Amino acid sequence: MKLTDIIITANHNLFRSKTRTILTIIAIFIGSFTIILSNAINSGVNDFIDKQIESAGGDGYLEIMPTAVTENAVMALSGNGAVEYKETGNAPSEQPYITNEQIEKVRAIDGVESFDVLHTTTVDYITSNKIDKKYKLFNLNLVPRGNVNLDVTAGRKPDSESTNLEIALTEDLTKTLGFENAEAAIGETVTLAIPNTIDCYTAATHSECQRQVTATVVGVQAPGVMASGGPRANLALFEKVHELASDGMSQETKSQAYQATAQVDPARVDEIKAKLKDIGLTAMTIDDQVGMIRTFFDAILVVFNIFGGIALLAAAIGIINTLFMSVQERTREIGLEKALGMSSGKIFLSFSTEAILLGFWGSVLGIALSMLIGFGLNALAHATFLADLPTFNIVVFNPINMLIIALIIMLIAFIAGTAPAIRAAKKDPINSLRYE
Amino acid sequence: MPNTVIEAKNLTKTYGKKSAAFTALKNINLKIYEGESVAIVGKSGSGKSTLMHLLALLDRPTKGEIYVDGKNASNLKNNDLNKLRNERFGFVFQQFFMNANNTVLENVLLPLKIAKISRKERKKQAEAALKIVDLESKMKNKAVDLSGGQKQRVCIARAVVNNPQIIFADEPTGNLDSATGDKITDLLFELNKKQGVTLIVVTHDEDLAKLCNRIVRISDGKIISDQTVRKDYQKQASRKRETEAARVRNANEKKGGKK
Repeated sequence: MKLTDIIITANHNLFRSKTRTILTIIAIFIGSFTIILSNAINSGVNDFIDKQIESAGGDGYLEIMPTAVTENAVMALSGNGAVEYKETGNAPSEQPYITNEQIEKVRAIDGVESFDVLHTTTVDYITSNKIDKKYKLFNLNLVPRGNVNLDVTAGRKPDSESTNLEIALTEDLTKTLGFENAEAAIGETVTLAIPNTIDCYTAATHSECQRQVTATVVGVQAPGVMASGGPRANLALFEKVHELASDGMSQETKSQAYQATAQVDPARVDEIKAKLKDIGLTAMTIDDQVGMIRTFFDAILVVFNIFGGIALLAAAIGIINTLFMSVQERTREIGLEKALGMSSGKIFLSFSTEAILLGFWGSVLGIALSMLIGFGLNALAHATFLADLPTFNIVVFNPINMLIIALIIMLIAFIAGTAPAIRAAKKDPINSLRYE
Repeated sequence: MPNTVIEAKNLTKTYGKKSAAFTALKNINLKIYEGESVAIVGKSGSGKSTLMHLLALLDRPTKGEIYVDGKNASNLKNNDLNKLRNERFGFVFQQFFMNANNTVLENVLLPLKIAKISRKERKKQAEAALKIVDLESKMKNKAVDLSGGQKQRVCIARAVVNNPQIIFADEPTGNLDSATGDKITDLLFELNKKQGVTLIVVTHDEDLAKLCNRIVRISDGKIISDQTVRKDYQKQASRKRETEAARVRNANEKKGGKK
């Protein structure tokens, strides 16, 4: 028998006992559907996280804090263990802020492309010449340096090397500030009000101690979880804000920073993190920060894959059962085929093919329905709670993943089918023809 | 003298082992010539079916050899035996053995499907075989919808579809009433006479046995008589050789035409 004939005949034979076959396929489908859909959702989440990491600075972007700060936080939270206070023992690692000595050491590390100290910035409000109202600004972030992409819907990423004061707004803020749309905002200016720390101690009203700075809008960020952090400034604007706030302070106090960012060679992140630790600084990549979300979704995936696996195991037993029944029912047919010259090998192959086909149909059904539901879910999400995040798909289908899952399921089906197929192959033609 | 198609030498078949051993056939020697119609007659349990199974290469003997066209079949591997059965033999069984849910055509072309013959060619040959048994009109019907006589005719079509040298018929009329049984018998002997197919019929029906030119009687695993009634089969044999030669010629011409 030719292989094509074997496949066609096997498929025909399968659907001779429709109910039994369909029930077995449904059992496989439950497993394949669970695995395919949960993998697709996991891909979607991971894809989203990757995009966000990319827009926040990429794999080589580090956020750095003095180790003492994180340790103090841990001590404070755990509430136990007294640490002796030493007047003179002010080792760098015990400093709650980043010292100049540390900055120099970090800049000397091989693989560190840039290192920017983030001084605390407080911005009271933001406004533009299009509106009279002033809006509170909770957060002003520094734009990542280097080749890192910033997902913008209009304009470009603020230039960190430039001395111009540049800012990238968020879409929400663009509308709030009275610009018609993202395109219209580009090239316009916004005004930020910064409270000067020293003056505000003595000023009669808060507005008296505010200093203003005007920045040019060069871009509007695409919506995303990271973009919700607020507008992003280039280094020049960021420094300017700090200068206005700290004007009048001593040089030492001025230069104190509790946070820094670095752009490093992505391939050497772990190595650099270890070196920073020796210096007394704790570094986290974006991936470390969103790692919790990733771990959470990975754990869910594992749970669903276990469910799917159990379903497939039950389905495999269903396959064995179905095929044993069919071998029994078709004993005389097998006898006839053998008498007419079909080899045991071909008989084995026909029944194995039936098993593989059960796996195949179960997988096809699983893929079809999970895609249907997946696309439906994406559409629903975009229409409702994800309306602000058009670049995020909850469910992302990876054809290679689906193919691999289908192949694994077909392999499981084949393995399940071997016992009945061997029984069929071993049948003696004469006894089989006598079988009532 | 016509060619010997099957020869059995000192054939012994034992089932079971040691004390439980049962010898179904004892030292059978038998030559079957091309174009003969041989009835193997005996009561149930006499060993006639066992003999047919051995001659048809469906089973291997405990002792002795079977020669097909002078070649020792005991030396053949399973796959070669399968091929031999598939190409040279046709089978008709008492219980028909049809795939009830398949169409008549599908049932008839099964041997050709096993032989890896192309879709188009096997359909053509199956249609020709159905024409012989006069059932072309039922080609697309399901086998389950046929009457007993029609079923057995389909089985005959299946037996001749591969242009066999020998047809083995195991109680071909056993499940049929006498009128339909006669039709089946006519068909089988027509094939034997017109196309020169060697016919080996296993039966306990004396009337059917009498139609054959040779009757081999078996009792307790031994041949008790072997009488050749008529010798007119030799003409049929030469006719078969002619048709065979014509078939080969045709096939060669077809191949030549394709080149």
